[in-house]
Amino acid sequence: MRRFLFILSIIFSFSTIEASEVSEWFEKESNQFLEIINNNEGTESESYEKYKYFVNKNFAVKSIAYGLIGESIINESSENELSLYLNVFTDYLITTIYKLANSSNSSSITLRDVDIKDDIYIIKSEISDKKTSANLYWKVIDTGSSFKIIDVIVENTSYFVTKKSEFNKILRKNRGSLKALIKEIQKI
Amino acid sequence: MKKHLKLILLIVSVTFLQTTTIYANEDVSVSKISYDEIYDPIEPINRAVLNFNFFIDDIAIRPIVKTYKFIAPEPVEKGVSNFFSNLKEPIRTISFIFQGEFYKSFNSIGRFTINSLTSLGTFDLASRVGMEKNETDFGIALAKGGVSSGPYIVIPIIGPSNLRDFSGDVVEYFVDPISNNVPNREYVAVGSGLNERVEIDEQLDKVREASSDRYEMIKSIYYQNRNAQLEEEYIQNLPVPKIYIE
Repeated sequence: MRRFLFILSIIFSFSTIEASEVSEWFEKESNQFLEIINNNEGTESESYEKYKYFVNKNFAVKSIAYGLIGESIINESSENELSLYLNVFTDYLITTIYKLANSSNSSSITLRDVDIKDDIYIIKSEISDKKTSANLYWKVIDTGSSFKIIDVIVENTSYFVTKKSEFNKILRKNRGSLKALIKEIQKI
Repeated sequence: MKKHLKLILLIVSVTFLQTTTIYANEDVSVSKISYDEIYDPIEPINRAVLNFNFFIDDIAIRPIVKTYKFIAPEPVEKGVSNFFSNLKEPIRTISFIFQGEFYKSFNSIGRFTINSLTSLGTFDLASRVGMEKNETDFGIALAKGGVSSGPYIVIPIIGPSNLRDFSGDVVEYFVDPISNNVPNREYVAVGSGLNERVEIDEQLDKVREASSDRYEMIKSIYYQNRNAQLEEEYIQNLPVPKIYIE
């Protein structure tokens, strides 16, 4: 019984340490993100570069991009096509975040809670400006060397689920052609 | 009234009949709810209706909403929103009874009493004393009773729904003790609808900007929000991508 409690306490202390690590990471990165949003100095391209750096550093872009098209499309596509898709998707993700951030004046992101399920951290936060606030959830994985975001959920709307349904539709309409999807993404 | 009752029974029975066939298409591996493909057999009609809705919104509703948001100070906007939300508390009370959620039902009618008596519903005092608002409707009650969502439908002017939720709305319209007991209920319905449109104004602007296919995006957002009301651990159970080495 003692041994069991000992093992249990070790497991619990490990998960607490990891939760505090992910909280620290989140506080640091969310502050950096707010700095980028609220800093209006510099040109548009300089601002875009800051978002690009932020996305590449903190988002599991490849996992998101590949997850959106599914394994059968990945297996059927050539290396070149996949590489082009990944580049186009990365630009698309940066542009989406850049546009959304530019259209809002967020003054704070407050960490509310950290939960873990199936090795994925679910960070609950609240984003608010002077007028309104919204629940913002971040699904984050630990890659060993850093934490990476795999999904962002605003209130109840998941970026991954919403984009997956959009991309699925385009792929179904074009008989699973990744080229067609790339063209559609480039149009936006 | 008999005619209306027949219509309601017809819609509800069609919804029930759909149950078995729709479940056959649903992936239950990740959660109780499917995110891969939403049952949408009348997509071309839905798309046409959505385009029509956007057209009406562009020429008539959106200008009204933008003007209202520009003119009305924040407290007025909040007060109007509270007022219309408060009018829905009695129907929420009934809906919770159908779901067997008696505590929430009691909470809803308590909220209605407190907020109506203190400010005609324009100020949510009940929340301040610990009686938080719980959202529900007859569509949720039907879902909790095991009725499947049925096909996705876009209702002219009103917007996205599905057969189950629309049936719930129709039932609500006829059993709602508030709208049945006020003169000119149409005005209340229009006011409530406009208020809901005001509340989603910013999100709708973002959909217009950020989507490659606004029809798919709106459909997905609609289902995600409804699913969140149905599933306890909704956020935890949302599908996630397989992890690839970056």
